[in-house]
Amino acid sequence: MRTKLFLFAAAGVLLATAAVRGHHAFGGEFDPNKPVLLKGPVTKVEWVNPHAWIHIEVTDPDGSKKEWMVEGGTPNTLLRRGITRESLKVGTVLVIDGYQARDHSLLRANGRNVTYPDGRKLFLGSSGTGAPTDGADPSDAAKPPTGRGRGGR
Amino acid sequence: MANRLFMAAAVAAAIAGVSLMPASLEGQASKAAPAKAGAIPRTADGKPDLSGMYDVATLTPVERAAGTPLVLTDEQAVELEQKVAATKDERAAPIKGDRDAPPVGGDGSAGAAGNVGGYNSFWIDSGSRFSIVDGRKRASIVIDPPDGRVPQMKPEARQRSTRNVRPTSDQSAREDDPGFEGNGAYDDPERRPLGERCLMGFGSTSGPPVLPNYFYNNLHQIVQTRDSVMILTEMVHDARIVRMNSEHVPSTIRKWMGDSIGRWEGDTLVVDTTNFTDKTRYRGTTQNLHIVEQFTRVDAKTLRYRFTVEDPETWATAWTGEYTWPATDELMYEYACHEGNYALGNILRGARLKETNDAKKTRQ
Repeated sequence: MRTKLFLFAAAGVLLATAAVRGHHAFGGEFDPNKPVLLKGPVTKVEWVNPHAWIHIEVTDPDGSKKEWMVEGGTPNTLLRRGITRESLKVGTVLVIDGYQARDHSLLRANGRNVTYPDGRKLFLGSSGTGAPTDGADPSDAAKPPTGRGRGGR
Repeated sequence: MANRLFMAAAVAAAIAGVSLMPASLEGQASKAAPAKAGAIPRTADGKPDLSGMYDVATLTPVERAAGTPLVLTDEQAVELEQKVAATKDERAAPIKGDRDAPPVGGDGSAGAAGNVGGYNSFWIDSGSRFSIVDGRKRASIVIDPPDGRVPQMKPEARQRSTRNVRPTSDQSAREDDPGFEGNGAYDDPERRPLGERCLMGFGSTSGPPVLPNYFYNNLHQIVQTRDSVMILTEMVHDARIVRMNSEHVPSTIRKWMGDSIGRWEGDTLVVDTTNFTDKTRYRGTTQNLHIVEQFTRVDAKTLRYRFTVEDPETWATAWTGEYTWPATDELMYEYACHEGNYALGNILRGARLKETNDAKKTRQ
């Protein structure tokens, strides 16, 4: 029992570490009192380090259109999985929840959750994005995973 | 489900083509690769050839829980690895598409996520396995002291550390504004952490000592010649040049990653590093930090990396860690950190705005 407790505690530490560490101060950049829910088509992807930025066009209730920028992680990680900025095509509709930058004159937010309209997380299980094993190719399921990590080398 | 997370890396070679390795060096590295299992590749002069690309992502933490053994049983390792995998799958699972905005006042995230959350786990590429040394899975990188814990800092070092501390990401949340660091934390870009400023990776990625960051971009590339060994760290673009059979530069010359000189002791490359600056301050150390690293090729696909850390002004005794660097055929991509660093501007701009608003409130 003691061993089991230790194991779960250890796994908790490992996962917590992975969950919270990052390149910069999220809390310094984004305002916890300005939550946003953004929905609209992708207009541009800045595939840059240290953070990729996804631009989407959001239509306000009065009908006006505004371009928001949403912060993601490093593109290097996705590149190694075969995902490029071409995998996220202009016009793809996304739903993003996050918090706005502390300077509210900037239409920028963190991409706390970036999903397709049906709630699937971006790139994961997406179909037709052009990414490998994106579901567009029926033979993908039969291929052994080659990426590093679980199921990979 | 697991397969969905990790998309095929095979096509990564076909895209971008931005390997940082010059073609001539690529030739050298590939020459070394096809050694028989068990044999180690060697250079023309008979030295072990350490050249290659390595991915040091691991679940093995630097320190382990007090009173627990260095080696995990197979059952423990499998259980933990499966638990980590299951949690990653859970985080990748779909959520409601017609959801609401997150709550006002923050989403309750702790630590660096600063109560606003970070970003989706599909961006993250942390380790999925424990580091294997001598065929056994390790519970910590630290092997000496034998309890797997970095020694306690000397009291004067702790005081110095408190006095000199530069704010690190979201170190202290303020009650009236969770996630915002204390006064002065944003007064000057140079008060921001080195990682945030794109100067060095976070978590001693480039080191020395070179450590995994448990997050992403854990690739390192070694290029070896007779006279020098280059260790390139993806996060964030740091190249350390080890001069072979040389002397340290004068003590007046200080370097971000220290001054590294190397020598061969049998089949092990020993790298001695001194002349640090007082800016890096790994674990609160001084510029007199002294690191000795040992790189040993244990087989054609694995390096054993061992390091000893000493700073008499910080710890009463030296301490040692080790883990393995598995070779990878994946590509390292340029991490041109500063070219897209909107974050630092957003952070400083936000702080100026907050000051203005606070001043207005005070006047009212």
